[in-house]
Amino acid sequence: MPKRLRFAIGTALIVAAIGYLIVAAVRNTAEYYLTVNEVRVRQSELAGQMLRVAGRVAPGSIAWDPISLTLSFGLAQPPPADQPGVKPIAANVGGVARFHVICRGEPKPDMFAANRDVIVEGTLAADGTIEARQVLTSCPSKYVPKQPATAR
Amino acid sequence: MPLIGTLALALALVLAGYSIIANVVGARASIPSLTASARHALWAMCAMVTVAVGALSTSLLHSDFSLEYVASYTSFSLPTIYKITALWGGQQGSLLFWTWLLTIFTSLVAFQNRRRNPDMTPYALAVLAGIAIFFLGMLNFVTRPFELLAVIPTDGQDLNPLLQNYWMAIHPPSLYTGYVSASVPFAFGAAALMVGRLDDSWIRSTRRWAIFSWFFLTLGNLFGARWAYEVLGWGGYWAWDPVENAAFMPWLVMTAYLHSVMIQERKDMLKVWNLVLIGMAFALTLFGTFITRSGVISSVHSFTQSGLGPYFLTFLIAVVVLYTALLLSRVKQLRTPAEFESYLSREAAFLFNNLVLVGIAFAVFWGTLFPVLSEAVRGVKITVGPPFFDKVNGPLALALIFLMGVGPLIAWRRSSFDSLAKTFASPAIFGVTTGVCAFIAGLREWYVLTALSLAAFVLGTIVVEFRRGVSARRHMVGESVPVAIVNLIGKNNRRYGGYVIHIGVVLAFTGIVASAFFKTEVKKSVKQGDSFQVGAYELEFLGMNTTETAHVETSRARVEVRRNGRPIAMMEPAKLFFKRLQQPATAVAIRSTPAADLYVVLAGIDDQSGLATFQVFLTPLVFWLWAGGVIMALGTVIVMWPNVRERAVIAAAVRVPLPIQDDSQVVPGGD
Repeated sequence: MPKRLRFAIGTALIVAAIGYLIVAAVRNTAEYYLTVNEVRVRQSELAGQMLRVAGRVAPGSIAWDPISLTLSFGLAQPPPADQPGVKPIAANVGGVARFHVICRGEPKPDMFAANRDVIVEGTLAADGTIEARQVLTSCPSKYVPKQPATAR
Repeated sequence: MPLIGTLALALALVLAGYSIIANVVGARASIPSLTASARHALWAMCAMVTVAVGALSTSLLHSDFSLEYVASYTSFSLPTIYKITALWGGQQGSLLFWTWLLTIFTSLVAFQNRRRNPDMTPYALAVLAGIAIFFLGMLNFVTRPFELLAVIPTDGQDLNPLLQNYWMAIHPPSLYTGYVSASVPFAFGAAALMVGRLDDSWIRSTRRWAIFSWFFLTLGNLFGARWAYEVLGWGGYWAWDPVENAAFMPWLVMTAYLHSVMIQERKDMLKVWNLVLIGMAFALTLFGTFITRSGVISSVHSFTQSGLGPYFLTFLIAVVVLYTALLLSRVKQLRTPAEFESYLSREAAFLFNNLVLVGIAFAVFWGTLFPVLSEAVRGVKITVGPPFFDKVNGPLALALIFLMGVGPLIAWRRSSFDSLAKTFASPAIFGVTTGVCAFIAGLREWYVLTALSLAAFVLGTIVVEFRRGVSARRHMVGESVPVAIVNLIGKNNRRYGGYVIHIGVVLAFTGIVASAFFKTEVKKSVKQGDSFQVGAYELEFLGMNTTETAHVETSRARVEVRRNGRPIAMMEPAKLFFKRLQQPATAVAIRSTPAADLYVVLAGIDDQSGLATFQVFLTPLVFWLWAGGVIMALGTVIVMWPNVRERAVIAAAVRVPLPIQDDSQVVPGGD
């Protein structure tokens, strides 16, 4: 066999092996990344699946028990066309919780507060509760809407 | 100040534009005075950007809140050191800082090559000036650092508390230095393609730049990891976040490049591949900035989602298309008759090492972009988290470590089984013995056993190499062992510095594997005076202690750590409250030993019940990740150390062709 061909086969095998690793890993670890509304629409088919859900913490819904490290809150869809941030949910939306999230055995994140944008990682139960493995807060400091700037 | 800065940036843009034209025209028409003036324009451009950096720094230091940038990222009470580091804490500032580094490096390249590489240098400088034009264009028209506010606020909004940390003070400059210096070998690669000088002179002329870039990419990644470890308070240092991946990918490709250029220098092979790699490395530095600044990919480390995305994407696409076209136009001339002789050769080992490194980079790229790709193809956003990256890169890392042991020792061209057995017998035995001992000691994770065996194998090969070199010196020169080691490294710094880097990689790898597999975590809410057990340690919560400055309020928990009933440490994890931002943050307490790190987080204080919640991690061997990093840095310094013999070779090589122009009459910097 010519040397060039022999090396082409070896290289192809390695590339194929790496490709296989990637495909197999995607199959085993992929999670849906959805907004609250998207989960709402497809609720029945998503039950029991690992999800990442982006939403906003509904005001007045937070309960935190420091002894059992249990955090529960309502996760709402932020109003449309709104910059992610610390702005309160508009009054007409009312901050109605769409999904109830329970996170057990994890400390409450520093940035966690009402009207913050969070990403919840967990499974959706049949009754619409999300059992969260992790609650990630996006850092708000850089999202603060800036005063309009004009050069003088 | 703002006016000076704005003017300086505008001038710098004009100078960069002039320098491109003067360089290209000067080189085409062989007018040495024109290329010399192009060079002076670059120096002036660097001076202008330096003025702009000085202006912004002054405004930051004086808390001049009429500037939007100063008001957005600092406050009166911010400690002075973070007023300075706020220069790269925000978007406009970090782009300015990036541009500043680029113009400094460009000026250095212009100076270094004022008499060398007369054919390529004008084009390389034109490429660098072209990159500078993009960044200066952004600073002048799109995201202006000297934007003024209509209403001057009484105080600024302060720097993100997570960034008020010394690692964050040094991490971005290191990473940017690494990113930006990668454009030097890229510019020379492009210049070599433009003028058709397709030997390895572009590689040799920029070898130190490439290593310099790798050095700072390594440090930048490590500092970032260390920052995450100390500040984010989740007990880990790497989460495969898009922002981290963006810094990791150029490092991987640069590592591949540094190895494969050795094959071109020795065997005149892989010419196209090297040009592809340096193109990829440069494109990835732009890509990293693109994904972190565009908001295309959501990252937990959220940066400002800004309108910069489309500009970066356009520039990135333009660079990739132009460079690919340039490369394709020369592909025929880049063919070499040399070919791989045998799988059992150093060339082959290096080729495979390159495939694995680029494979890892591709997997990271794929995983990072997966949400975007899946949304485009299937209409649903699907993410892959850390498990994906661990699953793919775990086996690939093992392959890489194995090749790291084989590559440097195996013979060029082809290796007989006899010589293989002779070279690798003792390291292999050492590796297997280590694995068996670990198994007897109770380890049952196959991955960890393999990783430990391979790590021991690589260390074995390096010891064999050093012993071989030292005994040769002892026979020939009659030196004592320590002297022989020093001279061995000094006389062959590229080779033995490389081995030192490999030692660092093996140690870091061991630390990563151990900390990934054997981390234990305890979460507990306790009252004052209560204690709880973490591994062999007993922790007692003695009480709280609150202090306050104008800037930050600190609630510190005092935790006594005992082992076998004897107190061994007092740890003080804290909760911080940044007043200006009304934002809490966590200060972790870490007790680090070579055996294990005890990592205590004060996760919360409940005002009603007086309960303090602690999250404690016990992470074995993670110390060696950082120690390995230090050794890698040390090895890189050895590799970069000036070597008289090599200088002579380069000087001879670069002076041979094209005696068309000699501008040595021009006094450098004499404008």
